[in-house]
Amino acid sequence: MTLAGLEAVFLANRAALLRFLVAHGAGDAAEDLLHELWLKVSRASAGPIAAPLPYLFRAANNLMVDRHRAQRQAMQRDHDWTDIAGGTLPGGSDEPSSERRLIAREALGIAEAALARLTPRAAAIFRRHRVDGVPQKAIAAELGVSISTVESDLREAYRALNEARRRIDEA
Amino acid sequence: MAGDEDKIGAEAIAWTIRTGEPDFAEWEVFAAWLEADPRHAARYYALQGDADELAALIPPPEPVRAAPRRLARRGWLAGAVAATLAGVVGVSVLQTRPDPFVVETAPGGRRTVTLADGSRIALNGGTRLTLDRGDQRYAVIDRGEALFTVRHDPARPFKVKVGADELIDVGTVFDVIRSDGKTWVGVAEGALIFNPRNEAVPLPAGRALSTSDGVADVQVGDIATTSVGSWQRGQLDFAGAPLADVAAALSRATGVRFTVVPALAARTFRGTIALADLRQDPARLEPLLGVAMRRTPGGWEIAPSP
Repeated sequence: MTLAGLEAVFLANRAALLRFLVAHGAGDAAEDLLHELWLKVSRASAGPIAAPLPYLFRAANNLMVDRHRAQRQAMQRDHDWTDIAGGTLPGGSDEPSSERRLIAREALGIAEAALARLTPRAAAIFRRHRVDGVPQKAIAAELGVSISTVESDLREAYRALNEARRRIDEA
Repeated sequence: MAGDEDKIGAEAIAWTIRTGEPDFAEWEVFAAWLEADPRHAARYYALQGDADELAALIPPPEPVRAAPRRLARRGWLAGAVAATLAGVVGVSVLQTRPDPFVVETAPGGRRTVTLADGSRIALNGGTRLTLDRGDQRYAVIDRGEALFTVRHDPARPFKVKVGADELIDVGTVFDVIRSDGKTWVGVAEGALIFNPRNEAVPLPAGRALSTSDGVADVQVGDIATTSVGSWQRGQLDFAGAPLADVAAALSRATGVRFTVVPALAARTFRGTIALADLRQDPARLEPLLGVAMRRTPGGWEIAPSP
């Protein structure tokens, strides 16, 4: 796919992509983020793209996930972090440092509580998926288990996280 | 309402798993779910963030144990018999002669070596170590980065040589980087001594040291113990590192060549980079570093944002 081809798909689906960003909570920054998305995508030129529209949506998803991750890290760090490219998201890093430490401790507590509930296999599968970015099919092949086993282990891990966060929120 | 939260939680899990697969294509259905209720996006992001924290806590899989040649009982006896037969008298078969061997990784590679006493050395990409089967409490870092987990034994300190310097340790977890004539050491647990016969700089847990060949001083500072060796958990933590060092660390860990435009080389970065995301798409560094990522023939260049 040429850049011109990708651009054509982008322009034809501009409204849907914008709506996607807004659905992710982009708010007034949505147009700017759409522009940022195009800049990134047009520079990436990663070779043949089998399915251009899902590729663009995934890039938009990544953009929003990364922004939230940057904000969450900023909230947990013990210093001022006001120059994230693109401006702070609503509810940004204005917390006092004691609040930030509490948030960081809570987050660690949630992760540790979830880890304690995982079987060794589920933990290994989770790590392979999230840290190494390996798709479920490949993990299943590596471990000699079915894809549904891999998926159910992943579900177990996410459920443990949900539970742990629920307990903190209810406290 | 508790029932609602359960339902939203279950849906967020399903969407997290599905969007995590490379062939996912139902983005507009996902968008409709996000739009249906503001709590949906909140839950999705909370789960993503919590998942990152959990993944960071899970240790890498157990390495296959390296098999050093040891003087096993049978070997000793065979040696004694052979020595007698050969008429060689007075050679102690228990004497261990230096028996060096090299362990190496390509850029982006990983390897862990387990030593006879259970101490472990985890090698990052682009790393070369020289070890000694005759002395399992000794290592030389020729280049790259290694995370050491040394078993406690005050009677036999572990010695690491890096460049012209030495680290002495009795039982610790520490990470060493050797690159371009520069050395960096960070201690997560226990305590190390840098150059005990010269400067004798003590490095307890939470301290890091950096030095360059040919420069007289050594800089010491504080670090978060959890950031030491974070590369092994698929994350790179930086606490005010110049982008030149960030680029070198990324190259080492991924095997892809990252360079930085000279104008930005000294700008510092404080934050965490997830290696899985970086491998998927280096352009994802842009918001985190406040830069533009440009493709180069060999890899990627970190450049100023337009």
